[in-house]
Amino acid sequence: MSTQIKNKRSNLFSSPKQRARVWSNIWRNRYIYLMVIPVLVYMALFKYLPMYFLRASFYDFKLLKGFEGSKYVGLKWFERLLSGSELWQYIRNTLTLNSLSLLICFPAPLVFALLLNEVRNLPFKKIVQTVSYMPHFVSTVVLVSMINNLLSPSLGTLAKVYKLLGKTPVNFLAIPDYFYGINLISGVWQTMGWNAIIYISAIAGIDETLYEAARIDGAGRWKQTLHVTIPGILPTFILLLIMQIGQMLNCVFDKIYLLQNTLNLQVSEMLPTYVYKIGMESHKYGLATAGGLFNSVVSVILVLIANVVSKKVSETSLF
Amino acid sequence: MTVQAQGKNIVPRKAKYNQDFIKRSRGEKIFSVCNTIFMVLLLIFLLYPVLNVVAISMSSETQVMAANVTFYPIGFNPQAYRTIFRDGELWHSIFNSFVVSFGGCVLSLVALCIAAYPLAFGQFYGKKLYSVIIMFTMWFQGGIVPLFLTIQNLGLYDTLWALILNGLISAYNVVIIRSYFDSIPVSVVESARIDGANDYVILFRLIIPLSKPVLATVALWVIVGHWNDYMNPLVLVSSTSNQTLQLKLKALVLAAESSTSNLSTLSQTTDHKGVAALSTQVKNAVLVVSMVPMIVIYPFIQRFFVSGVMLGSVKG
Repeated sequence: MSTQIKNKRSNLFSSPKQRARVWSNIWRNRYIYLMVIPVLVYMALFKYLPMYFLRASFYDFKLLKGFEGSKYVGLKWFERLLSGSELWQYIRNTLTLNSLSLLICFPAPLVFALLLNEVRNLPFKKIVQTVSYMPHFVSTVVLVSMINNLLSPSLGTLAKVYKLLGKTPVNFLAIPDYFYGINLISGVWQTMGWNAIIYISAIAGIDETLYEAARIDGAGRWKQTLHVTIPGILPTFILLLIMQIGQMLNCVFDKIYLLQNTLNLQVSEMLPTYVYKIGMESHKYGLATAGGLFNSVVSVILVLIANVVSKKVSETSLF
Repeated sequence: MTVQAQGKNIVPRKAKYNQDFIKRSRGEKIFSVCNTIFMVLLLIFLLYPVLNVVAISMSSETQVMAANVTFYPIGFNPQAYRTIFRDGELWHSIFNSFVVSFGGCVLSLVALCIAAYPLAFGQFYGKKLYSVIIMFTMWFQGGIVPLFLTIQNLGLYDTLWALILNGLISAYNVVIIRSYFDSIPVSVVESARIDGANDYVILFRLIIPLSKPVLATVALWVIVGHWNDYMNPLVLVSSTSNQTLQLKLKALVLAAESSTSNLSTLSQTTDHKGVAALSTQVKNAVLVVSMVPMIVIYPFIQRFFVSGVMLGSVKG
């Protein structure tokens, strides 16, 4: 049916007969169009209107004056962003956090899935798996509150451990050196179990006969894992790895913003939090929009590159 | 492939373990013991922050101040819960979160089904363009400030509608629902059309009842997403009467550098001596209350979530 339509489109409206057929198709699909149109109106208002407002990055935008009343400044905001040292500082912070996260948070679910696969007691396995999902359902605000609880220098558990070891507890959240560590450990806590789902199902999808063949060849559990399980989930791992590298310039706004304080700002300020502050707190909408636009354009380019690479590597891609 | 079938795939290879259980070497036994110990430590790592919050919220002031409370409450004292039950603003923010989560969920499902139906069952001029318009938003969005400017211009700023409508149709959810719709035989739709049913009737009478598993999955994603969302309420809502639970939590728990000043409404009800300690307990009690809906339901709904994650990865 779709090829029929395509053929028709090539000589669309060419003759009265064809035109009649086109209109009859549209009439036949009138309820489909009654679904499409409201959705398009929604998309226009809530997804594409924000893109239109990216225009604010070329204006000294004032909320009450609109585009007509605001002064057109051309590329001023972009020049300011690119010439200042702050932008590179924020990008460096984001890259540092994401690189460390790639080393620690990213492989954690794989290791967890492999180790969980070796647990033989099924009820215990089920309990571990279910509990490992739990942090995924905890909100960022609660997560950061828990971090504050545990790291509080006066009431926290870690402070108590320090005292037991004979050390003086410090205000961990105020020390810039600890910022990435806190971020990574809480990241593992929150994402490991959930992100392991995909590996666990990949392991479950490995052909049983491969294990039987390996056993007949005299492979023990370890050899089976090394030669069957790991090669079986490697394509999934590589695909996710490439996509993760594509996300290198993105950061989770909520968590970074909530973990920030004046003392760790030099390592914790990243482009999205900076954009929020200059836009929503200092009301410099033009500069903030320019910063946001820069961030999303670079991110989209990275994602597209990652997608091309993953297409080459595994012949599967996201779109 | 249906969602349930994929969910079942996750069940581990039971037969295999029993089979080679006997012929394990000594090294494998040692590994097994170490692995079990590791898993127990992992359980403690995962559960401790939550248990700690619950324990602190129920403990006596002296024990909390001495940092003695770890896994379980010491000197049981439910005073903190009595305090927060009297806090009207907190309950109002919880009410707002309920409205946004559940109202948003119902509206989202209807809108998502309407958006996905033409992609799965429609043969109409402009289908390709329609698909591109939806998919493009998955890769590129305006960002925080343009979103704020849009909502401001639409006159929705500082309303709960801003939160509900902003998250109404996400491209990712459309893809998930559409791929489920694709698994329904087209003949179902075609025969209904021949019987004279219009597409809205077909969608609501035939397709939606057939799509319960995927709709349950997406519904739960939307509910949890709204409930835990912090960024959108932060940008789109300003007044106290419209703030959601996460904003209220942040104001109560995290903004409190000096613990008493930000708890004005709460600490008024406590006596003078116990203010600081009770504040810590009250803060944690508020956290517990905010977590309860999600933590209580997730063991029952995680099956849907897990199958949804599979669905998302399969479509790639």
